[in-house]
Amino acid sequence: MRRVLSIWLPQLPLDLRIRKGDLRVSAPFAIISEINNAWRLTHLSDAAESVGLSSGLSLPDARAICPDLLTHPSNQAREAALLRALWRWADSLSPWIALDAPDGLFLDITGCAHLFGGEANMAAYAHERLSDMQITSRLGIADTKGAAWALARFSSNEVKVALPGQTSEALSALPLEALRLPQKLSSDLRRTGLKTIGQLMEIKSAELARRFGLALTQALSAALGHEPDPVSPKAADPIYAARMTLPDPIGLKGDLLGVLEQLTASVCRRLAKDVKGARRYYLTVRCVDTGDHLLHIGFARPTHEHRAVMQQFTKPLDELKIEFGADWFRLEAAHIEPIQPFQISLDQHKQAEVDTSKIISTLGNRLGFDRVRQFMPMQSHLPEREFVYVEAMDQREPVSWTAAPRKRPIRLFKRPERLVTLEAGRPPKRFQWRRGVYSTHVAKGPERLTAEWWQTDMGAVRDYWHVQTTEGLRLWLMTYPGSKEPGWYIAGKFS
Amino acid sequence: MSVVQIINRRDVGTLASFTLQARNELCLADPVRLAKGRVHEATGDSSDMFAILTASRLSGPIIWIGLTRNIGSLAPTALQDFIDPARVILTEGISRSEVLWAAEQALRATCAECVVVEMSSGPNLRESRRLQIAAEEGGGVGIILIHGRAHTSACETRWQCNASNAGENSWVWALTKNRKGELGAWQARWIKPKTSGGAYEAGVIHLAAATAA
Repeated sequence: MRRVLSIWLPQLPLDLRIRKGDLRVSAPFAIISEINNAWRLTHLSDAAESVGLSSGLSLPDARAICPDLLTHPSNQAREAALLRALWRWADSLSPWIALDAPDGLFLDITGCAHLFGGEANMAAYAHERLSDMQITSRLGIADTKGAAWALARFSSNEVKVALPGQTSEALSALPLEALRLPQKLSSDLRRTGLKTIGQLMEIKSAELARRFGLALTQALSAALGHEPDPVSPKAADPIYAARMTLPDPIGLKGDLLGVLEQLTASVCRRLAKDVKGARRYYLTVRCVDTGDHLLHIGFARPTHEHRAVMQQFTKPLDELKIEFGADWFRLEAAHIEPIQPFQISLDQHKQAEVDTSKIISTLGNRLGFDRVRQFMPMQSHLPEREFVYVEAMDQREPVSWTAAPRKRPIRLFKRPERLVTLEAGRPPKRFQWRRGVYSTHVAKGPERLTAEWWQTDMGAVRDYWHVQTTEGLRLWLMTYPGSKEPGWYIAGKFS
Repeated sequence: MSVVQIINRRDVGTLASFTLQARNELCLADPVRLAKGRVHEATGDSSDMFAILTASRLSGPIIWIGLTRNIGSLAPTALQDFIDPARVILTEGISRSEVLWAAEQALRATCAECVVVEMSSGPNLRESRRLQIAAEEGGGVGIILIHGRAHTSACETRWQCNASNAGENSWVWALTKNRKGELGAWQARWIKPKTSGGAYEAGVIHLAAATAA
């Protein structure tokens, strides 16, 4: 007979705040999340419940009831991480554990309970350990997953154990919602006057199936153990890393490369087997005298190519100063992503893409990835805000550029360069810029640009002139109209 | 266009020597051709436009290398008349040696058909020879934009590119050094193509012989 323990963590997001030492939880406090385009309360502190708030209430309504309400948006990634940590912790109870996202765990405790002195003691122990960690929990033990789930959530006690073979007795008093039915189905059942699972069990399952569909009878028979519903354990995330400890420290470059060769071969082989690649590799070198040194390299696309990793590590290894040698090495692959294999010989376009990302990786690893960049359009009419730089390493969708309403210079000086007016005019008839003297041949303008109204510190109104000089050069002249000092600047150079 | 078709049909024979030449050369506009797998120098106030027009005739990424103060002023909004700004990969070095190293790596990569290097003074004989060897391996066109003085170098050609006041998008291109071929000067004019469906098309370059050499 299987025995299943279900752990429910009803206040998980709130417990997260408590564990962080958030003092707001003693006051009326709620975790909110956006559900169907409305912010709603999901988890409430005791003080919030005592003033009459309930979960599911929309935030404006809750504020109307309790103006002092403090809130915090839910962070699902953090909550999932906490649940995963608890999943690892639950290993101390049983080796067979499944996640029941977002706020529960299932443990198959068959044959484990006697180690804790019986099921009741085991459940009490787990509950105590969880409350030590400041986590509210409710536990249920039964023959099936469904029954344990129902007992954890709907029984009157925080810890409830249904003895072996007594599942139906334990379930009969519980409400229909304990069967984990879809919302519509349970409200349909309520409308017919059925309230508890016991009432359902009295009706023939054929009649239930005809009236409410197979979903209901399946849920019922799974909860009662007539249908198999095993706990399928979650596998741990693989860690792609390799470590090497040497009996004596080494320091020669050839030896270091030999170690690195073995580490990369091991990591890359495992990555290749899982058809995955890493965008970053971290190598920790522990020197006997100076401690740990962390070297890292990056790739523009995930890779598991042994030779590429070796090649990129050559330079950081060269720069590493090892005086008395190092005896401990660890290589870890991070930013793991699946890679799609493709046929190289037929797809030349794809091959060029791979080559491009290789050169980006090579340049980025030496110069820094923040110095290998590409243009990205921005929505603005100000010439200096029309585009931004993004790292070329980031993979992104192809972007579409919109043509500027007026001609823009090919060289745009971020800081306009002041020119010396030799013969005044609007724009100057003759002027000196850098080392050349230019005279205006044709001038088009002004094009008056102001900062966006929501930008208060973007500077004054500017007038731009497109000037064709007699010497040939086409320049973009700029002035600040209405300023006390009417200076002229070169803002850019046209094609 | 016709030359490319001949190569595809492998219609060799009497045209064999001609196609071989055409394959290794990039035609900007007759008679201005740039050898592939070589490094070319460009000086003058419109040298960047010379590089951009060359790039518009090639496909693949354009690796644009230089010091921050030189390449930081490149603006993509105007670039899109000539090339797709997404092709440009800006690579900033903080010293001349970093710029040269990046240029060598980029030229050696087969994917980069066009590598533009901005330098405040031209490469010397040793530096340019290394770049030349890298370009031969990669097979792309390397263009060095020299903002200051050019030195004696191993580069294939040297162009003096200045803007002309004959109108928008017009320049005077003077070939002041050529290791294989004749010198000359041309009045160049670029005519915007009629774009179809958002694809970037290389425009037409009109050349007329100029006396200003």
